[in-house]
Amino acid sequence: MICTKCQELLSDYIDGALELGEQVSIERHLADCEPCRAMRDDLLQIVHFSHQLPLQAPASSLWPRIQSDLTELRPRLWDRPLRWWARVRSFNFNLSVPQMIAGAATLVIVISIGVIVSRRDGAAINSDTATRLSQVTPLSNADLQQLEKQINKLSDSVEQRKESWDPELRIAFERNLFYVDQTLVECRHQLSDNPSDDVSQELMLNAYREKVRLLEGFDKF
Amino acid sequence: MVYRSNTRLRMSIWAPIILTLCLIATSVASSGATCSADSPSRFERTYSPHHAAHLTISNVNGKIHVVSWDKKTITARVNAAASVLIEDEVAGDDITISTKRNLRLGRADFEVCVPPDTSVIVKNYMGDIEVRGITGHVSVTSIGSDVRLVNVKSPSVDVRVTSGDVYFEGELNEGGSYSLQTMKGDLDVTLPAATSFNLNARALSENINLGSFFSNLTGSSRGPKGVSGTYLRGGPRLSLTAYAGRILLHKK
Repeated sequence: MICTKCQELLSDYIDGALELGEQVSIERHLADCEPCRAMRDDLLQIVHFSHQLPLQAPASSLWPRIQSDLTELRPRLWDRPLRWWARVRSFNFNLSVPQMIAGAATLVIVISIGVIVSRRDGAAINSDTATRLSQVTPLSNADLQQLEKQINKLSDSVEQRKESWDPELRIAFERNLFYVDQTLVECRHQLSDNPSDDVSQELMLNAYREKVRLLEGFDKF
Repeated sequence: MVYRSNTRLRMSIWAPIILTLCLIATSVASSGATCSADSPSRFERTYSPHHAAHLTISNVNGKIHVVSWDKKTITARVNAAASVLIEDEVAGDDITISTKRNLRLGRADFEVCVPPDTSVIVKNYMGDIEVRGITGHVSVTSIGSDVRLVNVKSPSVDVRVTSGDVYFEGELNEGGSYSLQTMKGDLDVTLPAATSFNLNARALSENINLGSFFSNLTGSSRGPKGVSGTYLRGGPRLSLTAYAGRILLHKK
């Protein structure tokens, strides 16, 4: 497979929309092509960030409103805002002193309740995170380096043996290695977004161990 | 001269016979070779452990079914490609049946019947795995396999697959440890409604559905990727980890 073809199919590949044959061809190409791997990682990053965007569902009445606004905008652009401003200006804001005091008091109470609730939630989350952090083995740089060293050594060994394998076995290995690498990329993204996320740390450490297990398993062939 | 002539005479008698025998031997050998290359081999053994056995099945490519029965013996039947060599080893109540790793990826399908209290360890690379009705320890590790554990009442269960769905339906023992993990696939767990446990569920995909178990989960911490808590009285440790897949918990 050539790079242009690979890059053309990468998006479908990441979505899992390719047939097995194409998927395997891409995986083989990716194993040997650094630029295409970089592009795959970039696409994974985009997918990752787009998943984090909040879902904004428009109200059902939005389209009719836009349509009517567009109809009104067509003759004169500033007609409607001017009409709205005129309507606001026509309101009678004459309030008595007790009404003003009552309004201000209501505003203060609402703001105070909001502040108290948000602080309490924050404290609960913090204590919860602290409890869980104490239960999880922290992922130190030394741990990571040790695992990566082990993985590199095993990868070299497996790469040397791979050529002599049955094609079906090689495909299975490359497919599963891709899944693990994809997971590690996702874990890294999540940790770069939130370095103190203990669950992501735990998952990443586990994914590294899984990669070691995979490579050790295939190193026996 | 006479001697020579006699030798020639003997040779002339034996030559066609030897030639015929050679031809027959060659044809038999070649037909045998053809047969062994094409037809699958069959491995069948019965083991009689004295106590609860520890059975290890180590395969590369093929399905593995382990089912409990009411007998005290273990029967293993393996249908394998001719290129696959199957070995077994018995040391007391420890029984190991394994396929020898080979550059040719032949298939070997295991059908094993065991007493319910057998501890079962299954190692595979490719091929679906099913374990039914076991009350002993269960450990399954595989690379690309769907794993089904049905009617399992083990004191401990450990399942790790790189890609494949994991299905668990069974009961949790008091103080037991149950760990299920898949990197690319779903975890689907069905438990009796009255089961107590301590849950630790992790899903990188942020897709955890605890169904009606969630409402009674106390002391729980819930983040988008993880849920931890105690259901009813707690006790057994249930650890579920999925990466690119869902975690689903159902009541039986």
